[in-house]
Amino acid sequence: MIRELSFIDVLYLIAATRWTLALTAIAFVGGGLVGLTIALLRVSAVAPLRWLGTVYVLVVQGTPLLAWLFVFFFGLSIFGFTVSPWIAAAASYSIYAGAFLGEIWRGCLQAIPRTQWEAGASLGLGLAQQLRYIIVPQALRLAIPPTVGFLVQLIKNTSLAAVIGFIELTREGQLTTATTFRPFTVYLIVAAIYFALCFPLTQVARRLERRLHVAR
Amino acid sequence: MTYSFQFRDVFTAWEFLLDGLILTLELSLVTMVVGLLIGLAGAAGRVYGPSWIRRPVAVYVETIRNTPLIVQLFLIFFGLPSAGIKFDADTAAFIALAINLGAYSIEIIRAGLEAIPRSQIEAGQSLGLSGLQVFRHVIVFPALKLIYPALASQFVLLMLATSVVSQISAQDLFHMASIIQSRTFRDFEVYILVAAAYLALAMIFRLLFAGLYQLVFARR
Amino acid sequence: MSLVELSDVVKRYGTHTVLNGVSLNVEKGEIIAIIGRSGSGKSTLLRCVNGLEPIQGGTVTFDGTVVNDPATDLRKLRQHVGIVFQSFNLFPHLSVEKNITLAPKVVKHVPTAEARQLAEAVLRKVGLAEKIDAYPDQLSGGQQQRVAIARSLAMQPVVMLFDEITSALDPELVGEVLKVLEEMARDGMTMMLVTHEIGFARKVANRVVFMHEGRIWEQGPAAATLAQPRTPELETFLSAVLH
Repeated sequence: MIRELSFIDVLYLIAATRWTLALTAIAFVGGGLVGLTIALLRVSAVAPLRWLGTVYVLVVQGTPLLAWLFVFFFGLSIFGFTVSPWIAAAASYSIYAGAFLGEIWRGCLQAIPRTQWEAGASLGLGLAQQLRYIIVPQALRLAIPPTVGFLVQLIKNTSLAAVIGFIELTREGQLTTATTFRPFTVYLIVAAIYFALCFPLTQVARRLERRLHVAR
Repeated sequence: MTYSFQFRDVFTAWEFLLDGLILTLELSLVTMVVGLLIGLAGAAGRVYGPSWIRRPVAVYVETIRNTPLIVQLFLIFFGLPSAGIKFDADTAAFIALAINLGAYSIEIIRAGLEAIPRSQIEAGQSLGLSGLQVFRHVIVFPALKLIYPALASQFVLLMLATSVVSQISAQDLFHMASIIQSRTFRDFEVYILVAAAYLALAMIFRLLFAGLYQLVFARR
Repeated sequence: MSLVELSDVVKRYGTHTVLNGVSLNVEKGEIIAIIGRSGSGKSTLLRCVNGLEPIQGGTVTFDGTVVNDPATDLRKLRQHVGIVFQSFNLFPHLSVEKNITLAPKVVKHVPTAEARQLAEAVLRKVGLAEKIDAYPDQLSGGQQQRVAIARSLAMQPVVMLFDEITSALDPELVGEVLKVLEEMARDGMTMMLVTHEIGFARKVANRVVFMHEGRIWEQGPAAATLAQPRTPELETFLSAVLH
């Protein structure tokens, strides 16, 4: 039954955005934990640990996000688990975000000159203390603009969760299109909502980057 | 757990996978070429052009970069027909991917162009070169050399992103995974295998790009 | 009519006036040394001659053509005015030969074989014939600057502008560049140099122009003016530079 596209539909679309943001938040937290681990692995002095981190990044950055979604959602059900879209999405995005955030944060850690580590060591600070008091605060400042930039990528990438039936903005758009048969208008609205979410963040990232460069 | 992996069933469907692979490669390569051209033209317009070129390019770049690829794809494949423009799945895929990559390429190449010092341009102009000649002989090569790694990364990301066209039933490598799955019900094996195929492709592309850099930009 | 005529030239960057009514005539074959403190406007003055700097008042004329006229084809004009910069500005991705032959081939459509011969000739003039296939990053500062001079010479200009071309060089490399300039002077090239090399100015220049606060403060025959400055500002400047 075809229904006319109404303002209510627009409200439903906007409401669905909260799941987009929720998934983004979960991906960011999960990915953040993974990313931190990867970044530390990659700068570790122990070669096998470094290798582990490198392989993880290479594999995740060399496979499509869709593949992870499908493996978790369709693949794992073979083993007798019923994997809900939420679990599949949370796992896939955490793995995915972990690799990219790990690379970004590794770059920031490595951008701190060796001399900073040495200064800390010669003051008698242990490795963990060097990280905590000297390196991480500086790396954090460097990391904020690209991390905000990646947040924008995450928001956009949550749109793929629609293909495993995860209800977020894009899925809501598909459902609305199915009932109103107005794909052009619906997807235009969907795009506009994404734009409204992403564009301000992009600008924030840009401003932060500029301020960072001026400060250095 | 009484499940036994049956990769053989998936392997015997290799012809499907090959067909899908071919479309994925076609999509990737054509998009890269078109994306590079859009990137060069757009970046040049953005950096050197008058405001009536700069503003539309900026709008194009910001719109594409702040909306998801799948939504852009749906707009072109599902949305445009209601405006009278109908594309088949493959064509819609090409268009969406090219428009998408073009926007990202413009940003990357723009950074390269802006990194060329003004003094280089002045030196070229002082020798009597026209603007276009300065662009072609003095700016393009060093700028591309500078941003080559970033652009190559973006191209590999694009190759992986082509998997999204499976959602409009374009018969790419990822779509073939679904087809094989529906015939063999070997979900896990199929998707793992296809993921591995993409990984191999990504590695090969990276190697090729590195080789291309040596060929074109590194001086022997 | 002089080869280069600057008449009451005014140039501003925002609210800051860099050139405050500068008038200068340069005859064919003359060698002008322009000296002064940083910020006195000397480089800006030079860059007005080939149109790199737009001006807000007055006129700049080269061989009868008004440089600052928007209708003027600057490209054609720049084929006759050569300029060498403080930071050489060689094209890093091109060999020495390609640096030199680029403009002749692309602007004057000189065929490749002839262009290479031209490159060899100008390189011989600056004493770097053997470096024709080298790349800029393989050369020393003094060599790069000499290649830059050769590159400008290849277009067979009528006037050569030099913008502090030795200021960025290590002291021991300055001499080889100045030698090239001396030879060019002997060959009768019209030259305008912005320079800190007072000794060179005294030896080679016909006229010295001292700039101060955006104006020509004092000018005259090189040796005489440098030996006996008439204005206190020039005297202060010389004693500071020649300490």
